[in-house]
Amino acid sequence: MTATLATSAPVPGSKPVLLRLQGLTKHFGGVRALDGVDFELRAGEIHALLGENGAGKSTLIKILGGIHRPDAGTIQLDGQPVVIREVAEADRHGIRLIHQELSLAPNLSVAENLFLGREPRWHGWLDRRRLFADAERLVRALGLADIGSVHAQVSDLSVARQQMVEIARALAVRARLLVLDEPTASLSATETEALFDTLRRLRTQGTGIVYISHRLEEIRRLADRITVLRDGRSMGTQHVAEVEPRTLIRWMVGRDLGLLCQRPAWRPGALALSVRDLRSARVRGVSFDLHAGEVLGLAGLVGAGRSELAHALFGIAPADSGTITIGGRPVTIRCPADALAAGLVLVPEDRKREGLVMDAAVAFNLTLPWTRDWIRGCRPDGARRDGIVRRAIESFAIRVADPGQPTYHLSGGNQQKVVVARWMEHPPKVLILDEPTRGVDVGAREELFALLRRWVEGGLAVLLISSDLPEVMGLSHRLALYRDGRIVRELPAADATPEDVMAELTRTE
Amino acid sequence: MKRIFPLLLAIVALTILMALWVPQGRFLTASNLLDLAQQIAVNAILAFGLTLVILIGGIDLSVGAVVALVGTIAVAVLASAGWIVALAAGLAAAAVFGLVNGWCAANTRMPPFIITLAMMLVARGFALRFNEGRPLPIPDTERVFLALGNARLFDLIPVPVLLMLGAFLLMALLLHRTAFGQHLYAMGGNREAARFTGIRLARNEVTVYVLCSVLAGLAGIIHASQLYSAEPGSGQGFELNAIAAVVVGGTSFTGGTGTLPGTLLGAVIIGILDKGLNQAGVHFSLQYVIKGLVILAAVYLDVRRRHSN
Repeated sequence: MTATLATSAPVPGSKPVLLRLQGLTKHFGGVRALDGVDFELRAGEIHALLGENGAGKSTLIKILGGIHRPDAGTIQLDGQPVVIREVAEADRHGIRLIHQELSLAPNLSVAENLFLGREPRWHGWLDRRRLFADAERLVRALGLADIGSVHAQVSDLSVARQQMVEIARALAVRARLLVLDEPTASLSATETEALFDTLRRLRTQGTGIVYISHRLEEIRRLADRITVLRDGRSMGTQHVAEVEPRTLIRWMVGRDLGLLCQRPAWRPGALALSVRDLRSARVRGVSFDLHAGEVLGLAGLVGAGRSELAHALFGIAPADSGTITIGGRPVTIRCPADALAAGLVLVPEDRKREGLVMDAAVAFNLTLPWTRDWIRGCRPDGARRDGIVRRAIESFAIRVADPGQPTYHLSGGNQQKVVVARWMEHPPKVLILDEPTRGVDVGAREELFALLRRWVEGGLAVLLISSDLPEVMGLSHRLALYRDGRIVRELPAADATPEDVMAELTRTE
Repeated sequence: MKRIFPLLLAIVALTILMALWVPQGRFLTASNLLDLAQQIAVNAILAFGLTLVILIGGIDLSVGAVVALVGTIAVAVLASAGWIVALAAGLAAAAVFGLVNGWCAANTRMPPFIITLAMMLVARGFALRFNEGRPLPIPDTERVFLALGNARLFDLIPVPVLLMLGAFLLMALLLHRTAFGQHLYAMGGNREAARFTGIRLARNEVTVYVLCSVLAGLAGIIHASQLYSAEPGSGQGFELNAIAAVVVGGTSFTGGTGTLPGTLLGAVIIGILDKGLNQAGVHFSLQYVIKGLVILAAVYLDVRRRHSN
């Protein structure tokens, strides 16, 4: 890929430059996370930062937030060079990071959260009346009345409102520079609109906003300029209006796109999984067929309820009605053990929370599903256990010095390999992969996909859930577009274009 | 082994300390050490069950009251139905409490601390129903029942110690040699991950609480036999002493780490402290203080070591 964006985009209007990064470089061990990145943000600008997982976005914003320090490069605020050594210092400079995981105390009220750590006092005593009065005033002054009552407990609010509370808290301490990391990841379409209104209002008030998102459609509607990062380098900055989404996707995924397009050969065999009118709390009548040797891509935005479908199939949150047929036999799945017995495996979305015992050894995690294979009664068979471990490590090229090592020592990619590899000791009929490449570096992703291709060509049926469009489009034979708990359209992946798919997924009814 | 070594070291150090401290060298004699072993038995048996419970991130506060309840039930049944039925009735009652504890912990969102606190009161209440809460003496004719707490094999090894070792072997095999044991470690380490691996959480959890209660029942029978009577008010605070043995033995309250040999050594440490301080003539009020500080130090060292790796 030879194309890059224009290296210096024209200046939007005459707004003053708020933040300028030059030659920012950061290494973690031998890995270069950032490699001489330049970046500019003006006051009253929404600047989108784009790039794949591992492109360096989170390193960049963590440097801004005082969590990491750069190895080289300079940071200028209002033309003055600054050094941000710690989070408190970022606060003092008026820089606030708003992460995907919100940092609110869910058990406290909105008002208490807004003034957490700087509560109004009266002779040393907490002045609750003033706390609520001040909060009320603040929320109104910021135009965030949508939050609702400041007396409400934060855990009772929708994610969108919680996000607004977070923004209000940032602005309450006079933040001039907001960094939002995937803020719409778990928002509905209407909530997203409310957030955008807030951000646009802040823009007119002169706040500088760095906006990180994978959703091109969103960025096109919201941002003024775009900077694309790939493999720790800036691909340049461009005005949103002047760049085609197709081009953007190409710049973002770069060389990956070519590789991802090598989908497994499509030789669909017998019907592996057939689902009819499956319903649960958040699954609203799903039907589809999946054949052996086939990859069905379930494309949808986060929050569309895709994981809920996976959970219904795997028996984590069993379906209320509908039929599931695996390998031609109707099955009732009430718990994961039922699903496993029927030959269906789910590799969950959140490997840290749902996949692995992080403190335990790699070998422990690899052998956990097969304990009854290597422990007969009360006679553990060490050789058999080592065999399972060795086969998994070898066939998936898991990079681990010693299988006795705790799993948290492994990189994200190798952890993901562990979660997938352990099921391949006895390959299932149907494998559901839920966001299999989240937080997985490019190299490990390639390896995972190469292995997956081999398994599929050997007859494995895969249901691939991903919000990474190039991935799900490049790897699947057929696409099922998923929105609001339903499959809204099914089509051969080869016929789909990212624009069509995105348009369908983001449509609101 | 890394975890066991510091505990062995502590036991050696405490033994030397007590041997020097207790007057007239009365601590380090064969008969005194056998006495010590006999006194450890009840606490150790309780601690074995609690190890599994704490390992999966739970807690069982009801074991002390179950000790009293099972003792009274067994002794009440003893006169009319003989020792076999008495033991069966006692252990069955214990199993029922374990079932309730485990079912509630597995299938409701109630925290185990509260469930077992409530069941502790229930068990204590049932125990006090017998004989208006007054002790029920065990007739001298009940040779087998009295032997459980007082006899010595070959006139040497106390039967409670044998029962303790039997319970230890069984539980150690279960925890360290079976798939069930592996699954408990997984549940304690990451309950969600265990669920996604197809491990039957509810079944395992109920099993663990039942095992813990039944072991408490065994301890209750031994305890009643040792006292030559069932005392509905006995067993107060036993749960805390057993928890102390478990945590001193290196089981983490957050779940996922701990071993049965560790717990055995933890119980030995608590036992040496109890007996040694007593024999050294330390005022009983000060015994509490010292024991408390030792527990604090032991857990502090364990936590620090774990976080340095």
